[in-house]
Amino acid sequence: MILHILNRSPSSSLVYREALASMGPEDRLLLVEDGVQGALVSQARHFEVISGRLFALREDLVAHGLDGHCDASVQVVDVDGFVALTEEADKTVSWF
Amino acid sequence: MRYALLVQGAPYSSQASHSALRFAGALLARGHRLECVFFYHDGVYNAARLAAPPQDEPHLVDAWVSLNEEHGTQLQVCIAAALRRGLLDEREATRHGKSGHSVEPPFELTGLGQLIDLGLGVDRLVTFAP
Repeated sequence: MILHILNRSPSSSLVYREALASMGPEDRLLLVEDGVQGALVSQARHFEVISGRLFALREDLVAHGLDGHCDASVQVVDVDGFVALTEEADKTVSWF
Repeated sequence: MRYALLVQGAPYSSQASHSALRFAGALLARGHRLECVFFYHDGVYNAARLAAPPQDEPHLVDAWVSLNEEHGTQLQVCIAAALRRGLLDEREATRHGKSGHSVEPPFELTGLGQLIDLGLGVDRLVTFAP
């Protein structure tokens, strides 16, 4: 399993499409920095194909004032959870 | 586990440095070892020894140095990316006839081969890009 890390919002960059296209059936995607905007109820539809494997970093959600506004399909993790995700993955790939 | 971080974003231009530092703190708190932080592209500006941010702001250079002093984390800077941006250690400054230097230990100028070695040698390499 590969952990993909995305720091771009789907409303400002299409790189998320490349990330999704490259993901295997077990891979996970973590939204960080501006990427956490993709966790919003209005944006999460972009990530429907990886339902259950989408995560967002709590610290960046808070920094963007978006904590509590995530779609129900998004699993929110703090930075400790971020490290845990890297432990569980065989490797990580950052998209930017 | 043994971790390494690749930082490609410049301080104040992107969140990469702060994200990487926060991740570094968290992985160390979970009992992992941070072998090295490798600075590449505009990330080399993290090694500028003359950085003097306002006192009420986080001092990124000092934070990296603390990682080295407290956890033995190597701070490696891509030499090709650094030299063309005016980031030279004492040896390179002398070699290029410059009167001052802008990089000092524990930051060390190294080649990309070191990054390849890191990728092969550690358990996890995590990239923080602009």
